[in-house]
Amino acid sequence: MDQKTAGLNLTIFFCQQLDPDQDNNRRALEKELGERIRFFPLPCSGRIDPLHLMCALESGADKVYLVTCPEGTCRYREGNLRAQKRIAFTQELIEEIGLERERLELIITSEGNPSTIDEIARGILAKEASVEPSPVRIL
Amino acid sequence: MITAERKPFTEIKEMIAPYRKVLVVGCGSCVAECAAGGEKEVGLLASALRMDAKISGKELEVKEMTIDRQCVYEFIDQLTGVIDEYDIILSLGCGAGVQAVAEVFPKVHIVPALNTKFIGETKEAGLWIENCRACGDCKLGFFAAVCPITRCAKGLFNGPCGGSRTERCEVAPDVPCAWQLIITRLNNMGRLDLLRKVQPPADWSKQQGKGPRKIYRKDQRT
Amino acid sequence: MNIESKLKKVLDRGDFAVTAECGPPKGADPDVVKSKGQILNGYADSINVTDNQTAVVRLCSLAACALLKAEGLDPVFQVVTRDRNRIALQSDVLGASALGIRNILCLTGDHQSFGNQPQAKGVFDIDSIQLIQTVRQMRDAAQIMGGEALTKAPHLFIGAVENPFADPFKYRVARLATKVDAGAEFIQTQCIFNLNRFRKWIELAKDQGLDNKVYILGGITPLKSARMAEYMAKQVAGMEVPEEIIRRMKSVPANKQRQEGVRIAVETIQALREVDGVHGVHIMAIEWEEIVPQIVQEANLFPRPQV
Repeated sequence: MDQKTAGLNLTIFFCQQLDPDQDNNRRALEKELGERIRFFPLPCSGRIDPLHLMCALESGADKVYLVTCPEGTCRYREGNLRAQKRIAFTQELIEEIGLERERLELIITSEGNPSTIDEIARGILAKEASVEPSPVRIL
Repeated sequence: MITAERKPFTEIKEMIAPYRKVLVVGCGSCVAECAAGGEKEVGLLASALRMDAKISGKELEVKEMTIDRQCVYEFIDQLTGVIDEYDIILSLGCGAGVQAVAEVFPKVHIVPALNTKFIGETKEAGLWIENCRACGDCKLGFFAAVCPITRCAKGLFNGPCGGSRTERCEVAPDVPCAWQLIITRLNNMGRLDLLRKVQPPADWSKQQGKGPRKIYRKDQRT
Repeated sequence: MNIESKLKKVLDRGDFAVTAECGPPKGADPDVVKSKGQILNGYADSINVTDNQTAVVRLCSLAACALLKAEGLDPVFQVVTRDRNRIALQSDVLGASALGIRNILCLTGDHQSFGNQPQAKGVFDIDSIQLIQTVRQMRDAAQIMGGEALTKAPHLFIGAVENPFADPFKYRVARLATKVDAGAEFIQTQCIFNLNRFRKWIELAKDQGLDNKVYILGGITPLKSARMAEYMAKQVAGMEVPEEIIRRMKSVPANKQRQEGVRIAVETIQALREVDGVHGVHIMAIEWEEIVPQIVQEANLFPRPQV
């Protein structure tokens, strides 16, 4: 396990078009990390609503990721564009209450790169999260 | 519809500061349409209030409820019985809604989470524009359905003024000159004759009223 | 009253009229107004006093007109509809006439957001055309809006403005016709730098026979500098300053630009005298009233006729 995200609660919203077998592929990590990681598949990343992101933070996530399909490949044409706008909107909402915008991160995958949710998630875990445990969490 | 925008979070927080139990009440009509006070927006605000309370170490219970309209008694009545459990009601209704609810529950402290803005249309997704000032004496028929009171910055009935250039109003480059639009439309319809006579001054008493204006329908009164 | 408008007398005689503008101060000093009046004395038939121009608070037009009147001048009381409702406007019309003021210019006024009180409520109870109609009714029918009789009618020569350089161009003449129908007796135009466009506008006005129904005075503003020319071209609503004029101003050294501006103004006046349908000029030398005597003299319009 990588140290960069150790101890943090992570929530990962992701477009299920990225990995049609995501239900199976995420089990290993769910077993390893337990409550520390939560996966939410979406029919399209554009289906994300600011409310989902707020709820995730309110439930104790330190950082929330939204993983979208590569640019130009959205099955529903502009889902990933809408996703970007909604993340930006929600970042403004959380800044109003003193939470850093870095707690919400958009990840746009590139063509041909990590193709299972397991690989994607491990890549996220290895990245610098740049946030401390959330002040919302009951520690 | 009536449009509104949510107040800054700090302002809302200050209004409910003395209280411990707040009910956030949304409205499913106009303010839902302009994405300011519908069920979604209630959820977002309530979530923000709860997280903020945790961060500040403050005790605050935040519950949510959205009714179809806040300006009609039959819908407001749904709050009866519910409202008593709370110290304060944070309404996401427009000014009409906030006051209507307060009329039904005068003992409860109700505060507005929105700034009511204007009567307007949803011009595009995410863009609402004012188009009516409720003057009480609609003359749209003379002006090719372009309201000169609302859309001309000077409210001219015999425009345009000398500041109209390239179809823009002098006040800002992104404001179209309403009179340019009126003339173009009337011209296209072959009705420029409507502008030949001098349009007389408005009767502003129909807009200003003597105190709050009323509509009274004898046939609808119980 | 036996007082008559000098401007009206000059125009009725068929002489080429000259009016000039006097801008009141941003303060309560009456001497500023009086000295400007003395500078312009004898070089214009009547003197316009602006009304909180550009929505900037200044000594009010009515008071400044009264001060000029006391100096023996013939003022043109400019009134905008931005700041006063119909009660105040009609009241001011009566007051102006009682003070011996014999000319009134009815305008809408620049939007309040342009001035130094942008939070003010823009009144716009009536517009400039409705105001022209109202003054006409007060004078000729001795009635206020709504028909109630006045004990004594005001006596005023009624003017309006038109802007041949605003859009929509074709409609500008229709608007002029509407103002004439409403009762305007003289027109002062926005300042002219594009003579071709102005000539086209006059042609259209003549086609409608308007030059026989209303006196038209062409507006003239002397440029102080190339920068002023550029500013007016870009920043002032409804203003048109052609490239050649800007180039001409830029082509002379800075210390010669004022005289070049005067030269352009004089040439424009001379050109206007040749245009059939133009009955005079209105010189708006904003904050440069001192230059008006030179312009009037060089345009061979001095001395003014004794009326």
